[in-house]
Amino acid sequence: MEFLRMFSGDLINGIILGAVYGLMTMGLSLIFGVLKVVNVGHGAFIMVGAFIAYWMFTLFGLPPLLSAILALIVGIALGFFFYYVVMKWLLEAPELSTLLATFAIGIFLAEVAKAVWGPDYRGYSWNVGSLNLGVTTIPMAKVYALLSSIVIAVALYLWFKKTRAGNALRGVVEDKEGARVCGINVEGYYALSFAIGIGLTVMSGVFITLFVPVGINPYMGEVYTIKAFVIAVLGGLASPWGAFFGGFIFGLVENGSYAILGLIPGVEPFSLTQCLAFAILLVLLLLKPEGLLGKK
Amino acid sequence: MKGGKVKLVLIALVTACMVFPFSFSAMAALPGKVVIGGPISLSGKFAKEGQQSVWGIKAMEKWVNATLGGVKIKGKKIPVAYKYYDDESKKEVVTNLMERLITKDKVKFTLAPYSSGLTLAAAPIVEKYGVLYNSHGGASNRIFEQGFSFIVQTLSPASEYQTGPLEMIKKIDPSAKRVAFLFQDNEFARAVAKGAEAKAKKLGFKVVFNRTYPKSARDLTPVLTELKNAKADILIGGGHFADGQLLAKQLDDMGINLKLVSILVAPTLPNFYQALGTMAESYMAPGQWGIGAKYSPAAAKKEGIPYFGPTQKEFMKYFLKESKGVKPDYHGAEAAAAFLAYVKAIDAANSLDPKVVRKVMNKLHFMTFFGDWKIDPKTGMQIAHKMVVLQWQGKKLQIVWPPAAQTSKPFYPMLTIKQRKAGKLAIVK
Repeated sequence: MEFLRMFSGDLINGIILGAVYGLMTMGLSLIFGVLKVVNVGHGAFIMVGAFIAYWMFTLFGLPPLLSAILALIVGIALGFFFYYVVMKWLLEAPELSTLLATFAIGIFLAEVAKAVWGPDYRGYSWNVGSLNLGVTTIPMAKVYALLSSIVIAVALYLWFKKTRAGNALRGVVEDKEGARVCGINVEGYYALSFAIGIGLTVMSGVFITLFVPVGINPYMGEVYTIKAFVIAVLGGLASPWGAFFGGFIFGLVENGSYAILGLIPGVEPFSLTQCLAFAILLVLLLLKPEGLLGKK
Repeated sequence: MKGGKVKLVLIALVTACMVFPFSFSAMAALPGKVVIGGPISLSGKFAKEGQQSVWGIKAMEKWVNATLGGVKIKGKKIPVAYKYYDDESKKEVVTNLMERLITKDKVKFTLAPYSSGLTLAAAPIVEKYGVLYNSHGGASNRIFEQGFSFIVQTLSPASEYQTGPLEMIKKIDPSAKRVAFLFQDNEFARAVAKGAEAKAKKLGFKVVFNRTYPKSARDLTPVLTELKNAKADILIGGGHFADGQLLAKQLDDMGINLKLVSILVAPTLPNFYQALGTMAESYMAPGQWGIGAKYSPAAAKKEGIPYFGPTQKEFMKYFLKESKGVKPDYHGAEAAAAFLAYVKAIDAANSLDPKVVRKVMNKLHFMTFFGDWKIDPKTGMQIAHKMVVLQWQGKKLQIVWPPAAQTSKPFYPMLTIKQRKAGKLAIVK
């Protein structure tokens, strides 16, 4: 009985963590899907979002949910800026050039953040109560992070499927030359998708602080970059929806397997949860190399 | 043309990335000075601790030159100089920079970088070249179990970190028997855990929970759910700053009330309170040092050992000038003490030969504002410096243990989550 209580509590927490992981990865997948650019500086943009949430809350008392809108706007602006200043000139260059460029952008952002805000670890407390589910108690901030992530993922899905711009973007992904022949401004959509990708990533930084509202510092992005890559590959590198589902699976395995692994005597379950998550990734890639929702 | 633009953009980016970190590194090495130096983290995950260390060392460099005129070798006073490079908190960079400091900059008295992992990484390099290596941020006992002969330690070893809270609880509440350990899985925390476990067993505590969490963990909920079921009185744990802060936050989120929680590193820094507000009240942490620690010329006299270096008041003055008003935490103080230890040892040895200075170090026992300094001659490990236990009380970080160093009595048991949420402060009556 105690085991079941722990297990179900871990699963619930895994779902919430997974939703944030999923949202965090969608931007990475979107950029790769459209531009075929692997954004190695992904984590630095998450850091920018986390700092936006922190400063807006501590300076103006702005709730993180409202900061998310600001973060989206700042992220889109940063996306356009880096696209036109850097990425546009490298799209036809060898893949290593874009890899190096995004890596450099990541370091640049982290160092600028350090120069402006210092190396301190920061954090804030947005106390909005908690939800007692019997098997576990969840802070409402995490519930908001879960709901917001789902709403954003669905909104992005609808934008892609139901709007003219979304259809055009899908056309660019399918066949760049064909889209150009049809009169679609391919370069414009490249810029737009990069900007939206970065916007989503910066916004996810705000939601990450609803989950982990402490430890905000210029170098916090590194661990998220690694996780986002794993989740993106799990979901199908070019598929934002795959990334979202991949995030759920990763979160569920990472948290949900703890109670089961804890039954094995003499092992550290928390170390094995990560190992298990990567093992599942390997098995899935062997069975479906293109990832969960990726296309061959 | 397009290829040219590509090159231009890449060159601009790489230049921008190189200019930022290096703009914060000092490059000065003047001839005719005794150069003490080492790699230190000014960027990356240890940037905060590294920055404190640099401020502490620079403060002592200024104090030594202004007050003593430098080190005295064969009757001649030679100014001291501190040389450092940013190691980006990376092992591979640390080893390269240490090699550079020794071979190009000719540094014979090196200061270890921050953290046990980085200290251990550079140890074989200094051993190879036979230069001295003083650890001020590498506490793991394993560093000193490798048979290195040129390494010495200024801070207390990791095995001593969490023994203070256990000694304290044994004294003030013998009925609190159930202890839980929850540490991050890293070099430093593993050594702390080993020392704490041995101490707990020796003092007769019952270890009801003993787990670790990985460095990359961003949600400790599963392990805390298990901890909740263990019904412990005391929690001893942590790793570094970010995870320690997360541990405190999630303990409260999950409604886990304990009589005492002592977490490594995180509660020792003001940002812990800034982030958690009154939820930080009554959290404890082991510290190498705290403002108000009672190490003074009078205390040294009482102990029968010499006092060396500035008083705490003087240290604060020099430090605050370097940091432009940011108060020192123990990372700044321990680095400053390591620098002072070199000055004291070179003076005593009357030589700049690392082998001679190392031999003299074996016989030294003195006190600075940071506390006692004495090493085990065989391993170089620190054996005289005492840890303190710090606690957040009424928005201030107080030294609560050992009694000789107390700035306030311990607030025990710690406030409940409900009390802290209501804004109650841990004030000792």
